[in-house]
Amino acid sequence: MASRPPVPRTTQPIHRGAVAAPPRPGAAPARRPARRKRRHSLWGRFWLGFVRRLYFGAKTLFKLALCVPVLVFMVWFSYTVDRSGLFQGELAPRRIVDLMLQGYDVTNFDSMDEREVVQLYAQDVPETPQVIGVGSSRVLQFSREVIGTDSFFNMGVTGADVRDNMTSYYKMVTYGKVPDVLVWSVDPWVFYDDPMAYDERADADLYNEFLTKVLGVPTDYEEPDQVELWKALAEPAYFQGNVDYFVKNRGQDVVTDDEGNAIDFNPVQGDPYAQPTNIKRSDGSVLYETTFRDQTQDQILALAAAACTTFNSVHMEGFDAMGETAMAAFEAFIDYAHEQGTTVILVLSPWHPYLYDYLLTETDLHRGFFQVENWVRQYCAEHGVPLYGSYDPSCIEGIEELDFFDGLHCKDTGIRKFFPGVPAVLDAVANGSVPDPLGITPRTTPPAPEEPAPAE
Amino acid sequence: MNDLFSLAYLGFFAAAALLNYLLPRVVRPYFLLAANYAFYCYAPENRPLAAVLAGATLVTWLCGLVIGKCRVKAVRVLFLLLALAGGVGILLYYKYWNLLADAVTGLTGARMAHLDLLTPLGLSYFTFAALSYTIDVFRKRCRVEPNLLHYAMFVSFFPTMITGPIERYPHLRPQIQNPRRFSYSRCAGGLFRILWGYMKKMVIADNLAQYVSLVFAAPETMGGPHLAVASLLFAVQLYMDFSGCCDIALGVARILGYDLIENFNDPFAATNFSALWARWHISMTGWFRDYIYIPLGGSRCGMARCLLNVVIVFVVSGLWHGADWRYLLWGLICGLISAAGRATLPLRRRLWRFNPLYRAQWLQNFLQRCITFLLFAAAMACFACALYNADPLAVYTGLARGWQNGLAGVPALLHDSGIDGRLPVVLTCAAAIVFAAESGGRNIARWVRRQNFVLRWTLYYAAGAAILFFGVFGQSAFIYQQF
Repeated sequence: MASRPPVPRTTQPIHRGAVAAPPRPGAAPARRPARRKRRHSLWGRFWLGFVRRLYFGAKTLFKLALCVPVLVFMVWFSYTVDRSGLFQGELAPRRIVDLMLQGYDVTNFDSMDEREVVQLYAQDVPETPQVIGVGSSRVLQFSREVIGTDSFFNMGVTGADVRDNMTSYYKMVTYGKVPDVLVWSVDPWVFYDDPMAYDERADADLYNEFLTKVLGVPTDYEEPDQVELWKALAEPAYFQGNVDYFVKNRGQDVVTDDEGNAIDFNPVQGDPYAQPTNIKRSDGSVLYETTFRDQTQDQILALAAAACTTFNSVHMEGFDAMGETAMAAFEAFIDYAHEQGTTVILVLSPWHPYLYDYLLTETDLHRGFFQVENWVRQYCAEHGVPLYGSYDPSCIEGIEELDFFDGLHCKDTGIRKFFPGVPAVLDAVANGSVPDPLGITPRTTPPAPEEPAPAE
Repeated sequence: MNDLFSLAYLGFFAAAALLNYLLPRVVRPYFLLAANYAFYCYAPENRPLAAVLAGATLVTWLCGLVIGKCRVKAVRVLFLLLALAGGVGILLYYKYWNLLADAVTGLTGARMAHLDLLTPLGLSYFTFAALSYTIDVFRKRCRVEPNLLHYAMFVSFFPTMITGPIERYPHLRPQIQNPRRFSYSRCAGGLFRILWGYMKKMVIADNLAQYVSLVFAAPETMGGPHLAVASLLFAVQLYMDFSGCCDIALGVARILGYDLIENFNDPFAATNFSALWARWHISMTGWFRDYIYIPLGGSRCGMARCLLNVVIVFVVSGLWHGADWRYLLWGLICGLISAAGRATLPLRRRLWRFNPLYRAQWLQNFLQRCITFLLFAAAMACFACALYNADPLAVYTGLARGWQNGLAGVPALLHDSGIDGRLPVVLTCAAAIVFAAESGGRNIARWVRRQNFVLRWTLYYAAGAAILFFGVFGQSAFIYQQF
């Protein structure tokens, strides 16, 4: 209980002057006068404000930085799942490439988007293959065994045109994975300056990029807006889509694509040579189904005969002469590969003897085709580029009809008869014992009619 | 940038906040004024309309100045009328011209052309704010503001420009005249409030909108269960949408150093219809109360007149929402329910004692809240019709049909609308958390700052994760943005 002040016994005069009355006994101690706020100078205030701002700015930034893990997780997850294939390619090709990189052969080759697979392989392969092969389906029998090295990937794609050939190699270069050796199975339509020579599946934009940025050829190529693409990584809606996709497919036997369709690309089970369908080998080559591989000579001949009348439809409709631009691009590409330090080995894969003989009977319809091989041989001789094989099967020693699948495609057994393998070629290059390209002269004119035997 | 979801908005706000705090305090209101107009003029279509904002500001400020300085009542009234005419004129011209044209044509036969006018951004909000200042000065409830720039900053304050709340100058003036120092705690609270608002809007409101819009898109084809559930969910959706948006505005303003009027105060905890409206869109209901209801006589008149005043206020409120008969009907329905509630209150109070369910206070509160919510949802169905361009008659008549299987068909339609998988559980939990967190009108920004570090950051991450995983992106703007 607070003690009361004592009641004064006598009256006390109250001083009403300017001097303050003495404090009453027992009253609360007088408050110390408030300390006057110290006034800082202008500079002092400036520095105080500056330091204050600096402190709170740093504190705020630090706390905001604690939110960064959420963003990092979002970006990482979107990039990893990438259901629309914006960054890592479409889901199905990605699965194929993943399986191939794990060393599996993959089923269902006929349904593959081969070009996408090649692009993704170039992107994802961790170690640069020493040797790559480019070309159309006619190169797809080049396997590790045929090439003679394990560090090989066949980047050939069905129906490949010149754009596919060049961009496959270009992709490897852009990813910083320049191979030591490029085996290019040169098809005749590579030298055809016409849209007919093009395959609609080829990546025209990438080719234009290659022409413009590498070869300096003006095209309508425009640098894609990468910023817009990469913005998707920070797009929450894309993140949610990826979460949905991930949750849906997690632990499922059948993986689906972005639209819910099953992705039917699986590792080959059992003996790859006993598969009922065509399969993609882990080295990029193709192993056709058993029945196609084991056709009789008559069956193969029938296919070759069927190909006679449709020969020009394979990118060579109206191919009357080699194109100047195509030849220039070819030369520029070889130079480009050499500049990258890649040894280029050209291969001319033979056609079925029956088919080639048939073509010789109508050379007027295939003028462009018959110009190609001699021009290539001349070019290789002049530039010291190793060249193996010939379109003319008669120029390849020992090749026979059973070395073909059909009119266009040569089996590995046939390839071995003209291609000694990359190590041997490199040895030959080193020793200067590369076969003279001009040492072979393919048939380009119809055979002279046999003179009737004189009547006896 | 005029979309609260856009990165441009957030970027603009962040830049404005940063620069605001880098500047000396005395300069900040002027900087914010410039930022407000930059915000307004960001979209090219709004640039010419900035003149409307500037004009309204100048006219109401000048009128306020004359009203505040002049002692001659006639002059003061004259300038008040001038300000009212200016403010209401702008509103009528931009929002109701076509409705007026139709009305005039229908009544007089004289043909008035329809105008294809682009409504200035935030028209309703800045005119109401400006008018409230002039009226308050006239009624001597607010001192006249001699500094035009301070006043202009109040009228054009960009956090309130898109969806309110409708500010009052006496509330904002001291904050403008004495800008706050940077406070980390305030900013952190403001940021959480923004996050909270986004969560309410994007996780709850936008997901519910998928089902509600599906039902109200074709109400004539829907059965009673769907219409009933959609009506109930629309009430929740609207609350989450609008209050979420206000949370963002309040959070943004808080970070900039300004406390705005709280626009919601746990409305679904109200035990009668009038009380619910006193807790809903408080800045607008308060505006109508102060500037329409009370001048009409308020409740200091006979019962009949008082009830009429209530109906008038709600009808005007309906018209404020848009030139559409459905908004008018909605206002009328709300007015009638409110008036009926007020008229029958004494009788109901007498009857409560005979109601066995009302013996326990908590049960009485619960039942009253449920009934109030049902009435609110029923009235809001008309509002939803205006939003989704549906026929209210089809909705109200449809409520009675198709109850043979009860609510059996609702889950299937919910699933079809996109509310599938784990989303129903998430939405239920999220709504429950929001209602619990905001119960009793708790200020979530202040509350979260009082929690310990672990809980606080758990909440931050949880809210962020909820948005990231379950938020609807690229969806509609806030519902109240259009008003």
